[in-house]
Amino acid sequence: MAIDGPTIAEVLRQQGISRRGFLKFCATTASLMALPPSMVPAIAAALQHARRPSVIWLSFQECTGCTESLTRSHSPSIEGLILEQISLDYHHTLQAASGTAAEAAREAAMRENAGKYLLVVDGSIPLGNAGFSTIAGISNLDMLKETAAGAAAVIAVGTCAAYGGIPAAQPNPTGAVPVSAIIKDKPVLNVPGCPPIPVVITGVLAHFLTFGSLPELDALGRPKAFYGESIHDRCYRRPFYDQGKFAETFDDEGARKGWCLFKLGCKGPVTYNACATTKWNQGVSFPIQSGHGCIGCSEPGFWDAGPFYKALSMPIGPAKAAIGAAAVAGLAAGAAVALRNRSAKKSAQAAHQKVTIDDLEKSK
Amino acid sequence: MSATFDRGINAFKEVLDAPIASFFSSCVHCGLCAEACLFYTETGDPKYTPIHKLEPLRRAWQQEYTLLGKLAKLTGLAKAVTDEELAEWGPLVYDSCTLCGRCSMVCPVGNDIAYMVRKMREGMSAAGHAPEGLVTATTRAIQSGSPAGVKWVTVQAQIKRMQAEFGIEIPVNQENADYLVLMSSWEILNYPEYLGAVGRILNQAGATWTLAQDAYEATNSGIQIGASDLARELVGRIVGAAERLKVKCVISPECGHAYTAIRWEGPNLMGRPFGFEVKHILEVLDDLRRAGRLKLKGTLDKPLTYHDPCQISRRGGVYEQPRTLLNQLAPQFKEMADSGVMNWCCGGGGGVSANERAEPLRMTVFKRKKAQIEELGVKTMVTACANCRVVMEEALEHYHMNVEILGLTELVAEHLDEEQ
Repeated sequence: MAIDGPTIAEVLRQQGISRRGFLKFCATTASLMALPPSMVPAIAAALQHARRPSVIWLSFQECTGCTESLTRSHSPSIEGLILEQISLDYHHTLQAASGTAAEAAREAAMRENAGKYLLVVDGSIPLGNAGFSTIAGISNLDMLKETAAGAAAVIAVGTCAAYGGIPAAQPNPTGAVPVSAIIKDKPVLNVPGCPPIPVVITGVLAHFLTFGSLPELDALGRPKAFYGESIHDRCYRRPFYDQGKFAETFDDEGARKGWCLFKLGCKGPVTYNACATTKWNQGVSFPIQSGHGCIGCSEPGFWDAGPFYKALSMPIGPAKAAIGAAAVAGLAAGAAVALRNRSAKKSAQAAHQKVTIDDLEKSK
Repeated sequence: MSATFDRGINAFKEVLDAPIASFFSSCVHCGLCAEACLFYTETGDPKYTPIHKLEPLRRAWQQEYTLLGKLAKLTGLAKAVTDEELAEWGPLVYDSCTLCGRCSMVCPVGNDIAYMVRKMREGMSAAGHAPEGLVTATTRAIQSGSPAGVKWVTVQAQIKRMQAEFGIEIPVNQENADYLVLMSSWEILNYPEYLGAVGRILNQAGATWTLAQDAYEATNSGIQIGASDLARELVGRIVGAAERLKVKCVISPECGHAYTAIRWEGPNLMGRPFGFEVKHILEVLDDLRRAGRLKLKGTLDKPLTYHDPCQISRRGGVYEQPRTLLNQLAPQFKEMADSGVMNWCCGGGGGVSANERAEPLRMTVFKRKKAQIEELGVKTMVTACANCRVVMEEALEHYHMNVEILGLTELVAEHLDEEQ
């Protein structure tokens, strides 16, 4: 299958993509990944000769939004074509086969490309009861373990696969966990977002094909090239934040003037993603540009991180009581220390012996 | 002969206050204060880093007033302050700090390091670690009225000389005058022209003024050695005389720390506001000029510069007045690099000039001022502090530099338009 098929360059040519367009893609990918310009020819050479990698795509507890985002939104961009031209050997939403034939395709891909295929997962895995989510009678947990065993690397696409996402939100009825909670012996790369930005997945694929390895990751397993900076730091509305100009409601003067949405609950300051730079829909816009605050969808636990429309600086829910108690305890402790210190100073003052000129030299 | 280590530690506990606690808590150990300190830049020795000079005080604070520090002391994890350590720190606190406050200016978290060194000296002197020179000066100040041992008879002799030289009346113990004029020992001994100059200026301005027999000395060794009880007694003499004579304003002479002592520390030491104003002579000159009561003629037409005394410019805020006067009197007035509030100290303020032990170090650190003068290429320097003047004249001699130093008040008096 994939190993002997046409190279990526051949496929692109068949699709009518010029060499110029191909190099442009390589350059864009290099800059997006924060690679030096000298890497563009290396990417081009690697992609030129790379055989289409075999990819197995498993969907667990998810909404298919990630698939929608990655396969449809950019049509027909070069990124989209690259995505189409990988050898997607198994993807139960997209593939024509069904039932036994579909599973046979997965098993065949695993057998023929053992140790070389990429495993892409979207959706979280329920640990509560195997019956909560099954495919062809196989539980998500079993299918993940079995398929991951022969994979070169695992890419967890979407916040559900990366951090548990909405299925894992309180009270987490299915006991949902992310891929990284189960797969410990393989590199797991997280591409969080609800849904994630399509170019991130193509960038990661290009990196894998060029260097044979995954890009550099941050502490949360995300490629630093895309998740290295916060939305806030890259936001075009940042100057308004710095000037203290905020929209107070969605239809006030500030909102019309495009001022900062912090007070309307924007989670940009604590969200690390590339939305503010790559943007969505072929670079048309992103939520903040459309007038709505960031909801922080690419961060772990975003669903339980407080109301979307409450400013980050405001306490959420029961924390109020805790903060109050902590403040009272802190005040009490502070007052106790202050009283103790005051009496220490008082007694030092009481012990003061008036200094005369006879007291300036040491007693013999 | 009754200074003890326990009295020193007790004094540390007394002086540790909210500002010092917040300063120590906020120090980020950036070391910027080192680069601001003459004693570090001219020697390159890290022990002269200003905040390091406070290490025993910092540990005393930590171990007496913070929970973790107390626990560490109880469990033996923290080393308690010892008398040997205080002895070791003596030269750091007294010889290598002129209380010039340049470090306080650069501290990024706003720590007033000079304020803390001043407070630390309280404990150092109570523990008997003040240098001999300062002890002698302080003893003389309390006993005879002046750190240099100048008695009223000496002042009387200078009064006579000035009266003869300038043909002016010098009033003594006169009640209800506008101004009470003070002098520093240096002015009485080395630069009596100051007295003549002030007299001529005030007379021309039509102001009434007086000297006081029991308060002619403006300096305050008690502040330099760090003994508030003695500093209070010394400043109390001036306050007593000013109130007895019912003067409107006390003029601090051309002496840096005297201004700090009377203007800033004075009311705190006395524990009450004064019923009279305290002004530096430069402030008075500028007031008179603005009121049109200071009429000048002619100029001193040679290249000269102004040395800002730390306590007057940086700590006292009097830096515009001398420039206004100099711009009028000296067409070739040139500013030194880092002039005004960021000036470099002469190296002998804060009691260092009274401390013989510090003399070699004082000469070493004068290299900074020397380089500044050489860079500018001037042969005349004006200042407004008799102590700066003495310290710099000695150092200029040491380095065989041919530079003269003038007092600004005398320069003004020499250009009085007395025909008007």
